[in-house]
Amino acid sequence: MKTILVVEDDKNQLLLYKQELSLEGYNVITAEDGQESLKKVKEQLPDLIIMDINMPKMNGIESMNNILSEHKNIPIIINTAYSSYKDSFRSWSADAYIIKSSDLTELKNKIKELLYKA
Amino acid sequence: MNSTFTKLPDLFKEKIENIFCNVVEAQGAGISLLGRDLKIIWVNTNLSKILNLHYDPIGKDCREIFKCECDNTNTCSVMKALSSSEKQICKIHLFTEKGERKYIQNITIPLKDGKDTIEYLIKLSFDVTEQEGKIRQLSLLRKLSELMQGTLQVDNLLHLILTCVTAGTALGFNCARLFLVDKERNIVYGKMAVGPSSMEEAGKIWNEIEKKYEKLEDLIKASEDNYRTDTPLHMLTRLMVYSLSDEREIIVECVNGKKSILERNAFNNTNISKNFVSMIDADEFVCVPLMVCDVVIGVICADNRYNKKLITEEQVQLLNIFASRAAIMIENANAYKKLEEKISQLKETQDRLIRSERLAVIGNMSAYIAHEIRNPLVTVGGFARAILRDPHDENQIRKGADIIVEEVERLERFLANIMDFSKPIEPVRTVSRINEVLENTCALMEPYIRHKNIQLIKVFDINVPEIKIDKTQIKQVFLNLIKNAIESMPNGGTLTIETVLENDYVKINIADTGEGISAEVLQNIFVPFFTTKVDGTGVGLAVSHKIIDDHGGYINVKSLLKEGTTFCIYLPLIK
Repeated sequence: MKTILVVEDDKNQLLLYKQELSLEGYNVITAEDGQESLKKVKEQLPDLIIMDINMPKMNGIESMNNILSEHKNIPIIINTAYSSYKDSFRSWSADAYIIKSSDLTELKNKIKELLYKA
Repeated sequence: MNSTFTKLPDLFKEKIENIFCNVVEAQGAGISLLGRDLKIIWVNTNLSKILNLHYDPIGKDCREIFKCECDNTNTCSVMKALSSSEKQICKIHLFTEKGERKYIQNITIPLKDGKDTIEYLIKLSFDVTEQEGKIRQLSLLRKLSELMQGTLQVDNLLHLILTCVTAGTALGFNCARLFLVDKERNIVYGKMAVGPSSMEEAGKIWNEIEKKYEKLEDLIKASEDNYRTDTPLHMLTRLMVYSLSDEREIIVECVNGKKSILERNAFNNTNISKNFVSMIDADEFVCVPLMVCDVVIGVICADNRYNKKLITEEQVQLLNIFASRAAIMIENANAYKKLEEKISQLKETQDRLIRSERLAVIGNMSAYIAHEIRNPLVTVGGFARAILRDPHDENQIRKGADIIVEEVERLERFLANIMDFSKPIEPVRTVSRINEVLENTCALMEPYIRHKNIQLIKVFDINVPEIKIDKTQIKQVFLNLIKNAIESMPNGGTLTIETVLENDYVKINIADTGEGISAEVLQNIFVPFFTTKVDGTGVGLAVSHKIIDDHGGYINVKSLLKEGTTFCIYLPLIK
């Protein structure tokens, strides 16, 4: 079973991702801010990370860069309500960039694509 | 007719000659003898000269030779003399056959026969054009200056100046051209000309203008309407350009010499360039410099090419005085034009700034609003979809509905916040002690401050007088600023709050020893919806700024990276 780490500060949204992705058959672990996500990555080494950008303590892009410096191979999907970050060159290091939507189809497809492309 | 003519001089001699003729004729007066029917019976040679008569006036109507159209006793001094039997004096002005304007003073004396009935009238005519001219010149110069002052548009002013030079009621030249000096290009160039292009046109225009505009003011007022750039004279003048180094050119000579030049015989003067003479096409002309503070800004060139009237020294003098006034007006108008250009440039820049600032606000605002709306929408939509996928899973429905309600409430709160910000708040101002308000605010924050390992220093000036403020609003400003200060010192520091009396204001300093604000961010901190905080709305400082503004005060900020930030709030004292 593949493990996915969802990093998201909005509790209800986190609940939604956990429920929906579990139904898809993934083991979903969560983190509510950037610092916590670093800890979770170290402890459980997820197969994929879904990361929000706007979070307290350490924002998503900063966390992502920290994670990537140690774990180059974990695919990361930026999942955000902002559309403007798409052009920010720092988010290019992400494997995918998805603008948040209540329809999770795009997110689910992207996960599959990244997990099984190898 | 003949018998009357021979008979009358006897009577004339008897009664008049001895008394008047020698004296009167010596003064250059014109004398005419009129019958009761106002027909001319006799005139002396002086009158023919004064009126430029080319024909024998004997037998003509008096009104015909004096070119007046009087037809009643009120306007016609001759008729009045006839009806009142008393001597009448009046002054008239007319245009002679040559087209010269003349002022004539007439004295009409009724001559009675033995039976006390008026048989003849004697009319003495004095040419007072010169005296009249001098009086008029003085008042004219004053009037022209006044009229010019009313015009600040350069082109209109230039046209007005030339109209004054050519108007019969003003300086009365036939044609006037205006040249301007362009120092940058080192040239003097023809800018504008006013005057008829041919003799026929001249006659037509003069008649028209004289009829249409009795007073100079009316002519000047119409100057703008009469401003035409398509006349041959104007177009020819526009072709006249001379290098300021070409000293043989008379216009250049006038510019460099700073003196007027009166040329009496241009056609035979080899010192004047043929080209210039053919352009001017007048044997006699005058060039007068337009000078401001000893700097020549242009030249007026005037001539009488059509009526060939001699240009007198007096006219040149008058034109000189007029030109000096005109030059100042031109400089004024130029300065005004430059000022206007600068103002419009400033206005444009300001508009652009406002536009871009507004766009920035809209940009910030829409990004913020989009973010705040999209997040709850994702959750609401996500759970709604989950419910739809399995409409019989009661557990899922309950859980989903709860979350949906919660998220919708969040959206509503957010909208209320936004509305609060855009809604104007009516302040309730009371006379308050600012130190007290600050004390209260600090008391609210103190536990939080201590928790963050921050030292609070209060330096309140007890002499600060009471001021009129909305306490709730001002407290909100202090809370915002203190909260920001604390947040900028995550590792502790010093927060100094100070009140000082400064001129007409109470100054409140809120200083931290925190991270500081970069110059780029500093520019935007008061812009609504601009924020650098993850959970910020970008509203706090914008609202604070507006509150202080509403109080008639102002707020400024100094910041150094790694050293700290100081906000200074100025609130006005009660007057």
